[in-house]
Amino acid sequence: MDYGLKGKIALVTGTGSQKGMGKAICLTLAREGCDIISADIDLEGAKLTATAVKALGRKAIALKVDVTNGSEVDEMAKTALKEFGKIDILVNTAGLIAGTGVPFVESTQDIWEKNFAVNLYGTMNCSKAVVSGMVERKYGKIVNFSSIAAKIGGANAYAAAKAAVSAFTRGLATEFGSSGINVNAIAPGFVKTEFFAKGSEERINRMFENEAMNSPLKRNQTTEDIANAVAFLVSDVSKNITGQCLHVDSGRVML
Amino acid sequence: MDFGLKGKVALVTGTASQIGMGNTICLTLAKEGCDIVSADMDIEGAIKTAEAVKNIGRRAISGKVNVTVYIEVEEMVKAGLKEFGKIDILVNTAGLNAGMGSQFLQQKQEIWEKDFAVNVYGMMNCAKAVIPGMVERQYGKIINFSSIVAKMAGSASSYAAAKAAVLAVNRGLATQYGPSNINVNAIAPGMVKTQFFFSMAADRREKVFDAMGSMAPLKRNQTTEDIANAVAFLASDISRNITGQCLQVDSGMVMQ
Repeated sequence: MDYGLKGKIALVTGTGSQKGMGKAICLTLAREGCDIISADIDLEGAKLTATAVKALGRKAIALKVDVTNGSEVDEMAKTALKEFGKIDILVNTAGLIAGTGVPFVESTQDIWEKNFAVNLYGTMNCSKAVVSGMVERKYGKIVNFSSIAAKIGGANAYAAAKAAVSAFTRGLATEFGSSGINVNAIAPGFVKTEFFAKGSEERINRMFENEAMNSPLKRNQTTEDIANAVAFLVSDVSKNITGQCLHVDSGRVML
Repeated sequence: MDFGLKGKVALVTGTASQIGMGNTICLTLAKEGCDIVSADMDIEGAIKTAEAVKNIGRRAISGKVNVTVYIEVEEMVKAGLKEFGKIDILVNTAGLNAGMGSQFLQQKQEIWEKDFAVNVYGMMNCAKAVIPGMVERQYGKIINFSSIVAKMAGSASSYAAAKAAVLAVNRGLATQYGPSNINVNAIAPGMVKTQFFFSMAADRREKVFDAMGSMAPLKRNQTTEDIANAVAFLASDISRNITGQCLQVDSGMVMQ
């Protein structure tokens, strides 16, 4: 199916990790014809991802950005516009989980602030930086990342932040729908990326096995599963889908 | 994007109307390489749709079926299996809005029974008939149809209740058959200009259509292509880890 993405410009955050969703998203969009702005707080990683995109024959630049810093985000958007003239697509992959395993009554303000700063404010900052250009051109696709955590128990501060991302997604979709901008979120189930780097390999494997067992499809997600959902949502084949949270989680959450 | 649907066999119900979602779904899946079983109560229309599929180079058979009668559904599935050897995909497009235009206090039980019979028992019968084969082959995709009205506040409607019931069946099937590698999802379309639209009173339907369009954040209504694209996505392994979900294709009318 022709996704009609040839020549579209996608700004993707969270592209530093070579095992991450952000990189898989960049490559999938590139295969569909997108040129890419690869952005991460880890510039070396972002560059590696950009190089991989160029190896597929598309244009790509890498930018260093801390998404919690509004000015850095504005600079990133300016640089991207200077290079490509437009930003059609924004994928807010940059995320963080702080305070895993910390019981609620022991959780510090710092844990809460970290979770909200990257997951919510980061998404908000990037959206704010690109949306005016999209309004001007009456065209845009924004994909945010929620999580199954937003709807099931556990991981309090992270879950709250990811639920906030879903609420923000709906608000943005409602406000900018009349400007031809689609805003959706994806809620991934477990994906084996460096997100879960902390902790023993054995403990992480057991966690993944448990998650798979608790999912009707009895498996976990690959970064390709996530990237495929992103590609669908940023394409005009899904042009009438907006304000939604698409669960890519092997059926872990059905509401 | 390669949807990996080449050679897959799709059974689609509700294919008679030449302006309907079922017809477009058949054509879209066929363009992705599917062979089609085109099923409807109206065999003439189902045949026309099958012919259109053959015109684009895929194989197709048509079957007359009343989805509310299990024996007929079973026969249709048997015929599909006989022709193609397998059924990979089931799309339960056949639907009805029995109470459209009528007032709750004036509705007879009959209207409620019709809405549940076609919209709920119909999809349930079709799922029941194809699932054993899918379990055997450890592969299957089932797509059901809910509606925006299942989640929106609106007038007391048997259609809305039936379309909400579809979602419960959807989740149950997805949970029960996930371990057999069968994906079950629903689509909730907003307003689409199909026969449903033309069954509204002539003097108000354009106004209703425009009003629905203005209410939606994207300020528009859906085409049958929008719906068919979502079906193709859900029928493909590119969405292999999506199951038990209800995908709103409604220009943002319902966001929950």
